[in-house]
Amino acid sequence: MEPSGSVAAQPGPPTPLVMVNGINKRFGGVRALRDVNLEVRAGEVLALLGENGAGKSTLIKILSGVHAPDGGAIEIEGRPAAFDSPAKSREAGIAVVYQDLSLVESLSVADNLLLGREPLARFGFVRKRALMAQAEAFLAQLGIPLDIKATVGSLPFAYRQMTEIAKALMGEVRLLILDEPTSSLTSDEVRILFDAIGKVTRRGVGVIYVTHRLNEVFEISQRVTVLRDGANAGTFVTADTDMKRLVNAIVGSDRLAPAAPRAAPPTTASFETAQVLSLSNVSNDRLRAVDLSILKGEIHGLAGLIGSGRTEILETIFGLRSVDDGTFEIDGRRWLPKNPADAIDQGIALVPEDRHVGLVLDHSIERNVTLSRLPYFSRWGWMQQRAAGKRAETAISRLAVKAQGASSLVRTLSGGNQQKVVFGKWNDPRPRVLLLDEPTVGVDVGAREEIYGVIRHAVRDGTGVLVVSSDLVELIELCDRISVIVDGRVARTLLRGEIDDAEELHHLLQLYQASGPSALDKGASQELPA
Amino acid sequence: MTELTAPNIVTSPTPSDRRRKLLQNLLRGERPYMLYIAFVILLVVFSLSSPWFLSVENFLNIGRQTTLVSIIAVGMTFVIIARQIDLSIASTLALSGMAAALAMSHVDNSWIVGAAAGLGTGALVGLLNGILTTQLSIPSFLVTLGTLSMARGLAMMVTNTKPVIITNETYFAIFGEGSFFGIPVPIAWTLAAMIVGILLLHYNVFGRRIYAVGGNPTAALYSGINTKWVTTAAFVLTGTLAGLAALVLSARSHAARPDVVQGMELDVIAAVILGGCSLFGGRGYILGTLFGSLIIGTLNNGLVLLGVSSPMQLVIKGAIIVAAVAFTKR
Repeated sequence: MEPSGSVAAQPGPPTPLVMVNGINKRFGGVRALRDVNLEVRAGEVLALLGENGAGKSTLIKILSGVHAPDGGAIEIEGRPAAFDSPAKSREAGIAVVYQDLSLVESLSVADNLLLGREPLARFGFVRKRALMAQAEAFLAQLGIPLDIKATVGSLPFAYRQMTEIAKALMGEVRLLILDEPTSSLTSDEVRILFDAIGKVTRRGVGVIYVTHRLNEVFEISQRVTVLRDGANAGTFVTADTDMKRLVNAIVGSDRLAPAAPRAAPPTTASFETAQVLSLSNVSNDRLRAVDLSILKGEIHGLAGLIGSGRTEILETIFGLRSVDDGTFEIDGRRWLPKNPADAIDQGIALVPEDRHVGLVLDHSIERNVTLSRLPYFSRWGWMQQRAAGKRAETAISRLAVKAQGASSLVRTLSGGNQQKVVFGKWNDPRPRVLLLDEPTVGVDVGAREEIYGVIRHAVRDGTGVLVVSSDLVELIELCDRISVIVDGRVARTLLRGEIDDAEELHHLLQLYQASGPSALDKGASQELPA
Repeated sequence: MTELTAPNIVTSPTPSDRRRKLLQNLLRGERPYMLYIAFVILLVVFSLSSPWFLSVENFLNIGRQTTLVSIIAVGMTFVIIARQIDLSIASTLALSGMAAALAMSHVDNSWIVGAAAGLGTGALVGLLNGILTTQLSIPSFLVTLGTLSMARGLAMMVTNTKPVIITNETYFAIFGEGSFFGIPVPIAWTLAAMIVGILLLHYNVFGRRIYAVGGNPTAALYSGINTKWVTTAAFVLTGTLAGLAALVLSARSHAARPDVVQGMELDVIAAVILGGCSLFGGRGYILGTLFGSLIIGTLNNGLVLLGVSSPMQLVIKGAIIVAAVAFTKR
């Protein structure tokens, strides 16, 4: 069962570099990890896959000493190891490169590499030349092509990441953990990064590579371990498996709920007549030629992985991102979103994902609910306090917000109730277009149903809804149409009825994502199941 | 469905709960009782230790001496609630005073022209502060540190540091020495500024926007509020009120001098913070600012009456301000 790839043809050593045996971890009532096993050999790249929440991060945090496991054992080169702090893990030779980099952007590459361990002369003066020499020698030894004098902040992202990796490798490193290193890299940059990883493994370092991009797995890893719901869902030799099998392992097949009964799909004719908002060929820094339409009384879902550009589509419509190219039409009129005030004037409303963005937490429900509609509660600029208070009371009762009263501070409410207050900001008058970003994130089951009710109510009054959600069950339950977003473009739009359940949608997403943007251009979508 | 009600069960508080809550509020100053208590303590201490302190005449004195700080503090309340700061107000006052006096001496000795020039100059400096802060995204601390220096320099340049004498009797009467229904006009102007401030902040849409911009600028933007315009307006208001304070000061001293009230920004900021504004924005109110100013004014007055040396006054004043803020802050 040895990997047959060209990168690491030599057999692994008799004892693996790192051995994780039956690790358990519990956070409160949630079992984050259940008897997880993992093995990394010297000089190999092990891809670690799984959905958000599958337990990858927890496992990494246990290996890096941030969390202590509740049970199980870790062995390094056959010797039992236990870390109760990141420093201990570092001493044992484990280095982690997180997504958010820990570099000082105003300093040079050399300064960053030797930050905190600069060669010193008397009185704490830095021996600049010795520092440069040390950094240069170290990079040469690694074979990583970096200009040590360059300021980190001025470097392209891939080079920053390599600086970060080089920094992680300073000192005795046996295991390098990379957490989604390519999520914001261009394909050229990915190439540079992969070269660097190749050089690292040739020195006998083991690498755990966490990613959502399956195509990278086949390019760089020798073996794959998949986690699902905090447990092992299979370990594969990369060369002996294929994308479909990996997707099956990631998604599972018994978990997803069946789809809700659905209404008849909108017919093509109604597309023409009832479009409330349409985008054609819209491009900016994150979007590439997006074509999208929202119908009157339609719930239109946007599915895609984090970073695919789903949220950016909402932000662009709401006037928060500048538009480079393309046209918008609202109720048949040409229009270009300039800023949120402009979008609100057109009858567009946005419920952002982060409630800290949608609400002033230290202010009362009344203040928050009226903030977006101040002109409705004032005459000649003077507040009509009674009207504002009444509106807040109405919102509280209509949306069933659990609070002592309109003057309660939003900070004191639970997540679901805070979210209802955000909806309350836009409830009356009904917006033409309601943009929702993860409307039920961090909301408990009961409040979730109530929020669905609020959304459906708005739709019944003719509002067109565009909803971004990572919860595919939610999308299937709510939406009349679902557009799949990959790398800032609409890969495909599905009508209700075209897709049966969340599992199927999930496969589709993974396959689109795995095949990447270039595959889309070549029309590879024909091969995908519908 | 049980989670739905659990976090927000409405329970009627027991009497002991209520007492604890009150005590908490007093000590932590969520409601500004502490501010009023501090003011009363000051009054009691000074009344007991100085025979001249407790008289109508002396209270009018305090009112008059507090005028400049109180008037500008109204504007500063808006600026600080909007998460900004304005260090330039003392210089703006000096420049506005010079503008008023020079305008009068050049145009018919007209008090209307003088008043317009003074208020207009203040508003312009405020506009500059606001535009630089919002359009160039420079922190207002730095912008107003710059305009502090520029406005003071300009005030000195226009007459080569010489004062400008004012001779218009109407001007003196309206802004400095007359009285309005028995109230000395400087105090009347202070009250007017306070009332306008209360109306704007607590009863006008503008106030709602100021609170929102300071409480969470992103949420304000997402609610369709032009945060830049709102912030700029707060600076313009403060500059204009600095202009009004300049009219009061120059009418009282029958002249405009370019070197007046240096360092007054510190008294103004201290008054606003004492009054319960949060330097982190989104919180504060005008009545608190009034009491903050009164505490500063009473301190100045009482310490003089007690015969404390002026260096010692500075030390005591500073210590009391720090202590008071420590008590009144959230």
